Amino acid sequence: MKFVFKPVLFAVTAAILASGVSAADSEPFSFLPAAQRPAPGTPDFNGKWAMAAPIRVLKTADGKEPPLLPAAKAKYAANQAALKANPKSDPNANCWIQGVPRITYAPYPMLISQDKDRVNLVYETNHTFRIASLHRPLPKWDDALDPHWLGYSAAHWDGKTLVIDTIGQNDKTWLDYSGLPHSEKLRVQERYTLDGPDRINGELTLTDPETFSQPWSTRFTLVRQPGYDLKENVCVRDHKM
Amino acid sequence: MRRLLVLALVAAGLTTAVVAQESTTRKLTPAEQAQLDTDNKGRATPMTAEQWLARRRGGDQAQRKSWEPTPPPADPRDFTGLWQLPGGNINLLQENGEGAPFTPEEAKKTQQLIDAEAQGAVLTDAASQCFPHGVPRLSFAPYPIRFAYAPGLILILHEVAHNVRIIRMDGKPAPKDTPQSFLGYSVGHWEGNTLVVETSHFNDKTPLDFHSSHGTKLKVTERFEKQKTSMGYTDLVVHITIDDPDHFTKPFTVLRRWPYRSDMEATLGSDGLQEYSCEENNRNVEMSSDGKVIIK
Repeated sequence: MKFVFKPVLFAVTAAILASGVSAADSEPFSFLPAAQRPAPGTPDFNGKWAMAAPIRVLKTADGKEPPLLPAAKAKYAANQAALKANPKSDPNANCWIQGVPRITYAPYPMLISQDKDRVNLVYETNHTFRIASLHRPLPKWDDALDPHWLGYSAAHWDGKTLVIDTIGQNDKTWLDYSGLPHSEKLRVQERYTLDGPDRINGELTLTDPETFSQPWSTRFTLVRQPGYDLKENVCVRDHKM
Repeated sequence: MRRLLVLALVAAGLTTAVVAQESTTRKLTPAEQAQLDTDNKGRATPMTAEQWLARRRGGDQAQRKSWEPTPPPADPRDFTGLWQLPGGNINLLQENGEGAPFTPEEAKKTQQLIDAEAQGAVLTDAASQCFPHGVPRLSFAPYPIRFAYAPGLILILHEVAHNVRIIRMDGKPAPKDTPQSFLGYSVGHWEGNTLVVETSHFNDKTPLDFHSSHGTKLKVTERFEKQKTSMGYTDLVVHITIDDPDHFTKPFTVLRRWPYRSDMEATLGSDGLQEYSCEENNRNVEMSSDGKVIIK
């Protein structure tokens, strides 16, 4: 790369100095352009995070099997048998986009980019992202939704808790590594609450009238990864490169 | 008149640069004509030179009005929002209309692929197999992008195949053990209101356009700047300098203008970027049963 120095060198130098580290950088949201900063006092989830402990088998908060309806229980058993016969039975092993909430507890770190209008969740696993709007509501249940792998998400604040609701996922993904199924009627609510600057208490509520007899909840913890640099992670089925 | 407009914008606190409109009635250069001929192959309705230039310019008055119902943030360093290259623009033509300065070997390989495609071969590459597109190939795609900010980082979220560009703004060079990757390792800094992004550590598995390749020595420098068009709308303009001594005789620069697309913000449930699952629709590889696929 050949650099061409122009008479604007002084302006460039001044701009570089102005963009350098300053005391203001320790203020919450100082990395955001001024117009994108949330109101003072808004919890700041920005940064890199990873699960404190991996989740392989999703269970309720008190460690029980989710309240599966009979047909879903049979499907769960069939998925488990298929997985035992062939590990590639897991949709995840075929590089399909992982659904919500499983993508959160994939064994890879994630990056949260939060401004006043939205929360961008960037997952290292297969370089996937989802966007939860803070200023637009979820589409209505009766909209002709085209089911998506990650569904449709919208976020809102419940006090200091960031709440993300997700609907409209297809039924091709599993909820965990053991084959826990769901239908297109699944509604996921993720609740994220800061516990000090470097921990997030996460709570999940899953509602799916075609899979579960009642809504149920579970918990997990995310831990800040300040020194981690997100890597390029690529999963392509039967690739030829 | 334009000077008055600039003064008015400066007075209003807006320092977004203003550029003249590119003519759509000029004569094409030989390299541009060759590119138009390539673009027109297989099209039911071939584009005229005027249509081709108009698309590259980024829409007419009526389109721009509908694309930008609300303006982008006034802060010239705030790129937050959606931007889209109309119709895509996947070629290496330089701003002055000249073709890329290929080495003789690269020129020959590029022409072989163009000729093979003209004879009916279906080309496949990293992007069509759902690998990340590479840089700058990713910036030539016709799908919307969203700029976002995180501590020490600027993100470019691409609708196409959920590509994510991560630009590190901490001023540190790439660590010594940085692996080669499809999108490389990007380091950015501000020069005035221009975001300058330098990317290296690429693998050699992505094409630069549809037909031309690069090696692991590739270095790409992107200079992003918001500019007001003469129609009063906003483009995110990027000058992309490609430097790869194994494939080009000298560094060269291509230009892309992404119109601001605030009209897309209200797209159902996603603030404008729709889910793009390449994995589900791996078309070019599926078409390989005719035996004419070329793996680059």
